[in-house]
Amino acid sequence: MIEYILMIVAVLGAIIALIQRDLLKAAILTGISGAAIAFLYQFLLAPDVALTQAIVGTAIVPVFIALAVKKTRSMEED
Amino acid sequence: MNPLIALMVIIPITCALLVNLFHTKDKTVKILSIVVALFLPIIPLFTSYGLHYFGGYMTLAQSPVLSQWVPASITNSALNIFHMGIMYSFGSAQQIFIVALGIIAFLAILTSLSETKKASGVYAFLMFMGVASMSAVILTDDIFNFYVFFEIIAIAQVGIVIASKVKGNLEAALKYMIIGGIASPLLLLGIALLLGVTGNVNITDIVYSIKTGLVNPQSPVLLMACALIIFGWSYAAGLPPFHTIKSEIYSRALPHGAALLQAFSVFTLAAVGIVILRIFSYLAFSKVIIIALSLAAMILSITMALMQTDFKRIIGYLAVGELGYIGLGLGIGTSMSITAGLFQAVNEAIITAFLFIGFGTVLYLTKESDIRKLGGMMVHTPKIALLVLLAGLAMAGVPPLNAFQSKLMLIQSSLNAGIPELGIIMILLSIVTFMTFMKAFYAIYMRSKPKGLKISNSKIPKATIFSLVVFLIICIMLGLFPQIVTNYLQPLATSLI
Amino acid sequence: MIIDSQLASFFTAAALIIIGLYAALFLDNIIKKIIGLAFIGDGANLFIITMGYKAGGIVYIFLPDMTVNWFAQNASYPLPFALVLTSIVIGASTLAVMLALVIVLYKKYGSIKASKILGAKQNQETENSIKGDGL
Repeated sequence: MIEYILMIVAVLGAIIALIQRDLLKAAILTGISGAAIAFLYQFLLAPDVALTQAIVGTAIVPVFIALAVKKTRSMEED
Repeated sequence: MNPLIALMVIIPITCALLVNLFHTKDKTVKILSIVVALFLPIIPLFTSYGLHYFGGYMTLAQSPVLSQWVPASITNSALNIFHMGIMYSFGSAQQIFIVALGIIAFLAILTSLSETKKASGVYAFLMFMGVASMSAVILTDDIFNFYVFFEIIAIAQVGIVIASKVKGNLEAALKYMIIGGIASPLLLLGIALLLGVTGNVNITDIVYSIKTGLVNPQSPVLLMACALIIFGWSYAAGLPPFHTIKSEIYSRALPHGAALLQAFSVFTLAAVGIVILRIFSYLAFSKVIIIALSLAAMILSITMALMQTDFKRIIGYLAVGELGYIGLGLGIGTSMSITAGLFQAVNEAIITAFLFIGFGTVLYLTKESDIRKLGGMMVHTPKIALLVLLAGLAMAGVPPLNAFQSKLMLIQSSLNAGIPELGIIMILLSIVTFMTFMKAFYAIYMRSKPKGLKISNSKIPKATIFSLVVFLIICIMLGLFPQIVTNYLQPLATSLI
Repeated sequence: MIIDSQLASFFTAAALIIIGLYAALFLDNIIKKIIGLAFIGDGANLFIITMGYKAGGIVYIFLPDMTVNWFAQNASYPLPFALVLTSIVIGASTLAVMLALVIVLYKKYGSIKASKILGAKQNQETENSIKGDGL
């Protein structure tokens, strides 16, 4: 059951991240989607990949994006 | 087991790391780079043909110690002869490719070291990294290992473009990376589908499973995999729809960088084309798609080249257009046409590098690449003008230079295969190529010098002239004695059909 | 449940790839394009992982109390997982290079709109000259 919830969270997280106007929020929501995928890997019997994805998907990628957003402008322009 | 095979990849990578380690020590970096670059074309000459198994993992049948552990249900199945680890295979065709790549890399690195004042920096690092991964792509027999090095080549190419301070390089690099971000996951999906159908990533085993009917060859999943892999292939090589971005990448790099970049594209085209033919040659439509893509590449790029005003862009488009000849050779699919296509790959890599470095001297002297603002270079550098003219003649396929031999073989094979239309198109486009080249050549060298043009008095480095002469010698050698290369390519071409 | 978790997982991967493709092709903001590319990569990785999954199977770790035969029949297929480990790292490093490029380009254009940065090509074409010594 829990894996279905994770799948929905992963997809919804991706969609919500892309419709944000505030790019910093978008960066953090990318992390939520990444975390859901990491847990999903655990349910798909791949614990070592889950560990890597947990680090890369929930920490490194959002932090990189957030840093880039900090260095550029944080709101999407019209 | 032959350790020299792995060394072809390990030596450039180690050198790349050492170049980074000796950062700011210009003299050390210069000597190290030149010595290692000199070794690049020499190692494959002394390596005997064979297979290299990483970690020593062969097949279960070949390792009795391991097979005691494994249940009989596995040792009695086809799994017994499947390869367990990453495998590199080194044959005569790979030897020719790596020697050609090594020569181009050596001359490009030599030119770049002599034309720029600072030797240390990321530029040499990226060049060595690119050469290492290119050798790995040529050698590897493992489709995932191939994907990894394919990505490293993409990043190294982008890095070379970023490191050359040409106007508009960053935008082109970002564009290329975004397109790559779409294309390479799709290539990975194609590889994943192959893995899903055959349960394997070793190309030899995939071919075995398909040929012996272990998997259903007509399965739609395999068709999808074929389509996705061809898509990734056209991204890596610069076939349409990626011809515009590829030629832009060439024109935004320094000439010696561009000489190496186009060599990467050409050899990726050949290496991946071979993989596609090995796996999917039983699907008739795969060859049709390859022919269609190659024709589109030739026609679109060569006509686009006519309209450009930047000479780096012109050569970029011509280089992409010439790729179409290789694709046609692979797509026609007879033993002779594949040999001709691979021969054309070797020729084209050498000739385009020759052209890029030759025209690079104009950029070196004038800092200007717009042909409308150039002129009168013949008076300043008559010898180089002659060399560049010969390079252009070679590209258009004038005897006795090398591309004549390969284009002749291609046209003959298209006639033999019963598709004379392709031969006619090839001849027509050769003429257009020559016309485009002559337009640029006339504007730069023959026309009288415009008023605003400043030509610096600095001498062209000896290393550049040396590189050009070496390229010319290779062109003439291969033009007079094409057997030097074709005899080595023949066995691979015959094994593909 | 109506569909089994492997199939649902395939659909999730497909959804991620489609969302990512949409973002990379149609959104104008470069950072969002790059987020979209990260989703395409995630989708491809999830697809490969799902292929190795075995419903009701065990993790591919050989414990001393298992027999070889039982393990061979019940363990999930580890080869795709080994590939994904590499692929995740490649994806992250490509992302980092792209974001660095965006930061540099932002300083030049003062904007992160793709139409401004990547569309500004044509007027530069004419004045494409080299900036100096090269490196």
